[in-house]
Amino acid sequence: MKMAWKEMKKNKARFLILGSIVFLISFLTFIISGLANGLSQDNAALIKDLPDGQFYLNKDADQNYTFSRIDHVIQTELLNEHPDAVAFSMQMGFLHDEAEKQQSVAFVTATDSKWFPKVNKGEVILDRSLEDEGMKIGDHLTNPQFSGHLTVKGFVDQKKFSHAPVAFIHKEDFQEMYRVDEMQLVFLPEADSSQEYTGLESFSNSEFLNTIASYKAEQMSLNMIVWFLVVISGLLFAIFFYMMNVQKLGLYGILKAIGMKTSSLFNMMWTQMVVITAIALTLATALSQIFNRLAPSGMPFHLPLNTTIFLSVIFLLIGFIGATVSGIQIKKVQPLQAIQQGEM
Amino acid sequence: MSIFTLNQVRKTFTHGEVSEEILKGISLSLKEGKVTALVGASGSGKSTLLTIAAGLQPASNGQIQFDGKNLSGMNAEQVRKIRAKEFGFVFQFAHLVPFLTVEEQLMLMLDVSESTLTKQDQKRKVTEMLEFVEMNHRKKAYPASLSGGEKQRVAIARALIHQPKMLFADEPTASLDSKKSKDVMKLIRDLTKDLNLTTLMVTHDEEMLAYVDQIVKMSDGTLVV
Ligand SMILES: Nc1ncnc2c1ncn2[C@@H]1O[C@H](COP(=O)(O)OP(=O)(O)OP(=O)(O)O)[C@@H](O)[C@H]1O
Ligand SMILES: [Mg+2]
Repeated sequence: MKMAWKEMKKNKARFLILGSIVFLISFLTFIISGLANGLSQDNAALIKDLPDGQFYLNKDADQNYTFSRIDHVIQTELLNEHPDAVAFSMQMGFLHDEAEKQQSVAFVTATDSKWFPKVNKGEVILDRSLEDEGMKIGDHLTNPQFSGHLTVKGFVDQKKFSHAPVAFIHKEDFQEMYRVDEMQLVFLPEADSSQEYTGLESFSNSEFLNTIASYKAEQMSLNMIVWFLVVISGLLFAIFFYMMNVQKLGLYGILKAIGMKTSSLFNMMWTQMVVITAIALTLATALSQIFNRLAPSGMPFHLPLNTTIFLSVIFLLIGFIGATVSGIQIKKVQPLQAIQQGEM
Repeated sequence: MSIFTLNQVRKTFTHGEVSEEILKGISLSLKEGKVTALVGASGSGKSTLLTIAAGLQPASNGQIQFDGKNLSGMNAEQVRKIRAKEFGFVFQFAHLVPFLTVEEQLMLMLDVSESTLTKQDQKRKVTEMLEFVEMNHRKKAYPASLSGGEKQRVAIARALIHQPKMLFADEPTASLDSKKSKDVMKLIRDLTKDLNLTTLMVTHDEEMLAYVDQIVKMSDGTLVV
């Protein structure tokens, strides 16, 4: 509608302020959501990269993978039954490079599968981030609980667990370090919760992630901030349009007196809300995507465009609701009030 | 038959327990092509009568006949349509839209009255109307830069651009000096004749009565003959 546009043109400053606030809040929300995503990636990329399926832990492990031991018989049965299945174990630990510099890593060992890289005895495959720390292919790494040394065989991208780079090692080397014979977990891709096995407890991917205490706490607080910001922006819209509407009640009364429909007045407000939000969100999206590209590699930041678009739709919806709720005054205004109030 | 008649119109305002009858059975016919002025002491009910006649608030009792239709029996949406298409309003203050230019104010009114003219014809009409009120040279101006008399002339142009049958004006000259008041009154009189309007106005100013065709005096909610 033309009137909505004309008002924005005449009162640029007012609308610019609203626009900048929406921009700042949505940008902040995108950044925090990018951090939440990035941290979650940093915390569990190893698990998150697996396709949807089921994780099986020993029932006695009390939902804690570090205590879980899968019986050999069951493991063999499961792996035979499902060619894509994998049994694996994870333990936090340290590696010393040749200069005796210590690096904390997450040791992972797994049965042969397409999900994890294959490693031979005495070898290790590391997450790429350790390359930045100065490790090279062919380096000999040591560990206090390990008699020999591990030769760096290669690097893989984005394999993190519990905020530490993953070190894939052979089953026998893992057994020597941690003195356990059994694997902690079995993963069945494409399985669903209906597949039960005696003595095992099953978890979907997200259920399993939530058994990792630090992951759950971290994601919960970040997500809370994101939703909090979304709600604040909704309130902000409501308050801003409320104040603007209060100032314009006289005008609305006059427009009603000369016969303008209440719905036209609402359309005017909605148009303004949508235009401002759309511009602010486009800018925030563009800027956050640029940030996504340029973020330093050490910074856990990961913001898929999908997430941004999803949040943008939420922002639009909530802005719409905020503006509409505040617009109830428009419905109530009587033409007479305005006329008798005198000059605006 | 007259185009606009009020028949035994009553209005009672209630504040809690107290209710007060402000209009006590008013009957009045307005003549086409004529200006009728309502005069009377402050608080006698002039504005109340005018706004009820103009469909801006309902009467408590009585009939209002306009062009063969019974206004008092209509719902709010029907009354709004009549206001948008058949009525024009001028108030003590111009009440222009602050963010629209003079020209846009009139275009807006054509929009509100759901004018079927093409954009080009609308523009031409706006120019014609603005020439009539001698405001065409300021058509790109915003209200804030106009004088009181200029604003009022634009308000009159806005009230009439959609060719209403009725013009309602509540003290249209009260905010103007004597010279400008006379100009505005002449304008209202001439337009009423030229466009064959039926005009009902309220005024406090004896001098303005020289420009009207019929004078109706009110006192304490009744008409004095
Ligand atoms: N909405 C309302 N609620 C209660 N009383 C009202 C209302 N509107 C008007 N009145 C009362 O009705 C009486 C007549 O008011 P009205 O505005 O019609 O007078 P008026 O003749 O136009 O006076 P003035 O010349 O001062 O404009 C006044 O006593 C006023 O207080
Ligand atoms: Mg009055």
